[in-house]
Parts: sequence; C-alpha cells; structure tokens
Amino acid sequence: MKFYVNVLTFLTGLLLTGNALYASKLMTPLNDKKAAVNFKLQDMDGKTHQLSDYKGQPVIINFWATWCPPCREELPSMNRGWAKIKSEGIAMIAINVGEDEDTIFTFTGDYPIDFTVLLDQSGEVINQWPIKGLPTTFVIDPQGRIVYRAIGGRQWDADELLNLVRALK
Amino acid sequence: MKIKCLGLLIGLLFIQISYADISKTVLPDSELIEWKLVEGNFELKLVQRLPDQTRSFFEGRGFSKNITRDIANSCVFQTIGRNNSKDKQQTIHVSLKKWVVKIDQQRLPIKLKETWDKQWSDEQVKPSSRIAFRWATFPTEQSFEPNGDYNWGMISFGPQPGSVFDLYVEWKNNEQKKSAWIKNIICPVNK
Repeated sequence: MKFYVNVLTFLTGLLLTGNALYASKLMTPLNDKKAAVNFKLQDMDGKTHQLSDYKGQPVIINFWATWCPPCREELPSMNRGWAKIKSEGIAMIAINVGEDEDTIFTFTGDYPIDFTVLLDQSGEVINQWPIKGLPTTFVIDPQGRIVYRAIGGRQWDADELLNLVRALK
Repeated sequence: MKIKCLGLLIGLLFIQISYADISKTVLPDSELIEWKLVEGNFELKLVQRLPDQTRSFFEGRGFSKNITRDIANSCVFQTIGRNNSKDKQQTIHVSLKKWVVKIDQQRLPIKLKETWDKQWSDEQVKPSSRIAFRWATFPTEQSFEPNGDYNWGMISFGPQPGSVFDLYVEWKNNEQKKSAWIKNIICPVNK
C-alpha cells in the first residue's frame, strides 16, 4: 500500500511541477542577436527619441495599441515592472502604433503609463521590426542587439522575467 | 504486479498531458460561443463577434459605413493562437492560407487581410485605418515560439451571419504537419 502512495505522491508532484513550469511565461531568446533597427519618434510632449540614445543600457521596447485587449491587460504589469527597474539603468519604451496623442492621452487616464510612450502614427517603425501582432515586446542589450522577444502579453513585474533583463547589464 | 500498476499510472499521466480536444463553450457574460482546439502544445480559440461589434470597431478606426458593413457581415471571429510549450524545440507555425471553410459542400479559402487591403483604394481608406486593420486582424503566417508566445486577432471566415460551417485548421509543430476539423461553427447574428 505504501508503495502505491509513494508512486501517487511522486506522480502528483511531477504534475504540479509541470503545471508550475507551464504557468511561468518568459521570453524567447534570439540567438542571432541582430542589431535593432534605429528609430526616431516623438513622445507625447513632442520630444524626439532615438533608440541609439539608449545605447549602453538594456531597453525593453513594447509595441501596442489602445484597442488591443492583451495590450490593455499587459500594460499595468509593465508599469509595475517599470517602478521596480527605473533606478537600475534599464529603459522601458512603449511604442504606440497608428494612433494620435488625444487617443493615447484619454487611454492613459484609465491605464497610467509612467515610462516613455512614443508615437508611430504612420506605422513606419513597426514595419521595419520583425512583428506579426500586438503586443510584441523586445529586449535590446546594451550593444543595441535584439536578444529577447515576447509575442503576446507577459507579466512584466515578475522578477524571474525582469532578472533576464537585469542580467544584460 | 507493482510494475504493471506503475506502468498504468504512468500511462494515465501521459494521457493527461497529451490530451487533445475540441470544445464549445457559451461565454457567460456575452453569451457568445467560443470554440477551443487543444492539441499538444497548440491552443486555438475562436470566439464569435457580433456583426455590430465588428462594425463599431472599424467605424471607430475611421472606416466608411459601406466597408464596415462588408467586414461585419463576413463572419468575423476573434482568434487566439498560443504555444503552451516550455520546450525550446517546440515551435508552432500557423498559415491561414492552409485553412479551409466548408459550407454547403463547397470548400472556400479564408478571406485574408491582404485580400481585404487590396480591394480598398486610398480614397476609400485612409492610412491610419489600414494600420488599425492590419494589426487588429490575425496574421496570415505566424510562428509561435515556446515560453508563452500567443497572438490574437480577427479572422473573417466569409459566410453570411447565421451560416453554419466546418473549418479545416492546419498547423505545423516543428515541421510536423497537424490538422483538425472544427465542426458546425456558427456565424453569429446581431441580438
């Protein structure tokens, strides 16, 4: 009898471990580490930002839109993640695709975003990046190379995910 | 005896992990129907969208009433594809070009986002509307990597509201072709 209890305990443990791993969603490491395409975009205040301005530090770049449900689900966790990393020499940028300042301004009343939001109104930048859907997030290393990609939303305040970015410093 | 029981238990474990299914659920809040396909690491959800939902979404993105009516009446579903694998080798690839709508003994391709885009002139649709359409619709080709990749977007299957059709779904798991039929999908009508 004890044998069967042990076997069942082992198999249950195996299942639970599998489920725990299953629940943990990280990012896809990109082994070819291609150079990220530079961009020049304006933020909500009209200030111009280039990706090259951020060279020397890891950068998290998220492409999103206000009408995209998983973006809305993901952004609060990005804001919480930003609160954790903003003093650690890591940049976080949200590039809105195809919308104007008024739309984004209204949206941020409900979904506060404390990190940099850039406007790609013409879709020119997103067309140059390897993106199929929104949201898609990239992590750029201090040398300006794309090292991770996440298609679909993630929990950006999870330390196991942020630690991957921290390790790039 | 012990070895047989152990084998049986491990077999049961395997069955749970590799369980594949197509299910249909009425969503409690909206009363819309969701079809869900799970096979190995691949998960696909098709959720009905009322024609009015689709019409108002695209009108809000600057499309004309004529165009939004055409889109809304083409059986648009919200579609979510996901790779649930944690294994680095398990890449899933989906090509909507391989999917087939079967209705009234006819087999029809899906109306892809590229087909819609080509039929509109620049006078009919402004650039910002095209951008919204492109990114709100499901990609024609997409690879889903492990570690939680998923994507969502609208697919227009084509039939009129109220139609019932079967959908042939094809995908690749590490170059291994897989397929399934989802039967009796209902294009919703406005309530």
